[in-house]
Amino acid sequence: MSFSIDEWFVVALARTIRDREVVFHGFGSPCAQVAMHVARHTSARDMLLVEGATYAINPDPPFIPPTGNDLSLQRDASYRMRFEEFFDAALRGDVDRMFLSGGQIDAYGNTNVTAIGPPDRPKVKLGGGGGGCNLAATIGHLTLWTTRHRSGRALVEQCDFVTDMGHRTPAGTRAELGFAGGGPEWLVTELGVFDYDDDGRARLRQLFPDIGVDQVKASTGFELRVAADLRPVPMPSAAEIAALRAVDPLGVRRSEFAPEELRRTFTHGESAGCLC
Amino acid sequence: MTFHLDPDKLVELDRAVAFVTDGALVALGGGLSARLPMAMVRELVRQGRRNLHVVGSAHGIDVDLLVAAGSVAVCEESYVGFEQDFGLAPAYRRAAQTQTIEVRESCCGTILTQLRAAEFGVPFLPVRGVKGSDIRRLHPEYGEVTCPFTGETLVVVPPLRPDVALIHAPLGDRRGNLHLDQPYVLDERFAAASRNVVATVERIASFEEVAAAGVTIPGHLVTAVAEVPYGAHPSSCYPGYAYDRPHLAEYVRAATAGDADLASYLDRYVTGTPTEEAYRKVIGEERLATIASWSASTDAWKGLFR
Repeated sequence: MSFSIDEWFVVALARTIRDREVVFHGFGSPCAQVAMHVARHTSARDMLLVEGATYAINPDPPFIPPTGNDLSLQRDASYRMRFEEFFDAALRGDVDRMFLSGGQIDAYGNTNVTAIGPPDRPKVKLGGGGGGCNLAATIGHLTLWTTRHRSGRALVEQCDFVTDMGHRTPAGTRAELGFAGGGPEWLVTELGVFDYDDDGRARLRQLFPDIGVDQVKASTGFELRVAADLRPVPMPSAAEIAALRAVDPLGVRRSEFAPEELRRTFTHGESAGCLC
Repeated sequence: MTFHLDPDKLVELDRAVAFVTDGALVALGGGLSARLPMAMVRELVRQGRRNLHVVGSAHGIDVDLLVAAGSVAVCEESYVGFEQDFGLAPAYRRAAQTQTIEVRESCCGTILTQLRAAEFGVPFLPVRGVKGSDIRRLHPEYGEVTCPFTGETLVVVPPLRPDVALIHAPLGDRRGNLHLDQPYVLDERFAAASRNVVATVERIASFEEVAAAGVTIPGHLVTAVAEVPYGAHPSSCYPGYAYDRPHLAEYVRAATAGDADLASYLDRYVTGTPTEEAYRKVIGEERLATIASWSASTDAWKGLFR
């Protein structure tokens, strides 16, 4: 079975979800959105999936549309939360995981979705953080992602503006600020997968097989820490790939990748064993 | 905040929009690509409204079009853009980068808390987050309190009382009772916290029909209501129609190019069409029928997003 980097990337995101977690993604996040549906149909069947802009619980969309607020994302939902119902649950600490990305991400997992350049006269005004700056404080764990690691502009030494807090900012650590949430747990990029060490800094744990540590280092704006037991990213199963293709027939996940990245394809080797 | 007891609030669109004055604090209903109050947005531009202070959660073409037309002075939305579909909001981005608008970017949870403070009639409410974020630097009005019970320090935010909330609904009656489909986004909170609620509806119906569908926003919170079919176009208003993706693409192209292209878009679809009836004619019956055909089959629905 062959699959492309966007598919493997989405499965890597899906595998950061533990079963029986309450999980949420923001809008404008097709990869995270598809990943949540993949997890709910394979590795985390008893998770509670909260759709990003409709607040629908465990829906089965006929397809993922290119906008987060569409009726298709509510189909067969067991319940539809009100906006305030979701935010209340998240802010009091009843949501376990959120997917979060940013135009810039620093070593501590702080993210910038507000502006590149000085905030009062930005070089590029980005869309804005939506609900992130409160949600990032209280949701149990954050899975960060970027599909633009190779650009060299995504993982930076310091964010020009911190929209959503990671493990530490000049204002202090999460504990010092009284934030109940655990902060970033994973950072998945198109080059590899990071976790966070005891200092709250990103540490490379897994690499995609066509990528070397030197390439990651060259693309990373902060000092690269590498785990002693660096491994390849585990291959997706046939069931995960099938679930992904079923839920995202329009391929909206691909809109997050540069065209040249999408040419990266992989095949399960004969040694892969059971792929179920 | 004030209850509105007039038994007949049905007006034409131009009269409805007259409740929004230059410099008003305006809450925009709906969110992202759904149920945006677009007919009212276009009418505000036609009437040449200026210096608006807009506030809301995550928005798209509604805010961008108002900014493109020069109607906005301050933008306090949590997000303005076209998601992964068409990316950054062209006019909003340009105006922010050239400081022609003041961006006081906010956060959905903070706006919700501020609306509740207005609803509760209290001078402030605390939020748990915000502290580690630079969003706080954009809001000198935020304060800090020490909790008298736990001793912890919390950021506190003042009430948000919009002068007018603009809400588009599928169904309503002459008293202003509105039926909405989920997600309501912040519309219920806007309706309760704002001084005036001005609504457009796809169709005016009897009270009995609205009551049977379910009243989401009660008439006593609504100041005026106008009947405007396709009043959310090019955003969606289910169950009526899906969003008009080719039209959004056309807008984003024109707004990105700016100058003559943007002026031509505004002329063709906004200032050059004196009424919404004229607007629907320019969009064309065929296009409107296509976006209304989403429910024919999954393939028809999916086809609207290709």
